Amino acid sequence: MSFFKRLTSRKKKTETSCKADRGILVFEHTSEVIKAESILKKAGWNIRVMGPPPEIRSGCDLVIEIPLIEKLNILRTLENIGTSPMEIVPVSSPLLQPVDLFQNKDFGKYLMIRAANMKLTVEKETQTIVNISGGGCPDVPYLASKMVGMSLNEAPSPREIGHTLCGYALQLAYEEMKRR
Amino acid sequence: MSVIVDAGGLSCPQPVLMTLDKIKEMGKGEIIIKVDTDTSKENVSRAAQSQSWDVADIKENETGYTLTIKKE
Repeated sequence: MSFFKRLTSRKKKTETSCKADRGILVFEHTSEVIKAESILKKAGWNIRVMGPPPEIRSGCDLVIEIPLIEKLNILRTLENIGTSPMEIVPVSSPLLQPVDLFQNKDFGKYLMIRAANMKLTVEKETQTIVNISGGGCPDVPYLASKMVGMSLNEAPSPREIGHTLCGYALQLAYEEMKRR
Repeated sequence: MSVIVDAGGLSCPQPVLMTLDKIKEMGKGEIIIKVDTDTSKENVSRAAQSQSWDVADIKENETGYTLTIKKE
């Protein structure tokens, strides 16, 4: 890594960690948020998916919190993959955690993890996904059809194949299950 | 002879887990599963198919659905 790149990446972390001048990217669809989060994290940006402040909330939205000082670089990264936010809004009130609660239920041979409205159940011995339920989003049957019957390691990541808030919540449950 | 799994009144994943336990116990044969929601019906069908069992019949009734799954 060049000296210049090291310098800018250090600056990136400092700006994010002190939470100065935060902004949010508002997208038209949740699937764009999921895609943008994946790309920005891969590119090394310290961003977070959050719920928008109440004054701009319109349902089950998600937004991406960014350090505003890096706005142009982040927008360029997103333009390169053909995704652009509808709006970039400075944060003036607290952001809401989209999913901040995990619940576990141990069924003996099986373990269920619930993240928000999605439940993921795995057979402990084989790590095979035996059930995906919850949500009410149109992509839940698709996610279940692609993941049920596969082991946690073989199954596609919900982040890659999901398009909704349910896909995002399932991703969190999936990551939590893998972490255990 | 069919074995009956009554999962009425239970929410997912319990109907699925009861079905999987019975599938493992029997290995092959015919199982009739009673569930009371669309979601349970879909999840139980998917779980059975993932274990290479056929969903031979789904009947809707006043209390929900009765699924018949088979493996020869």
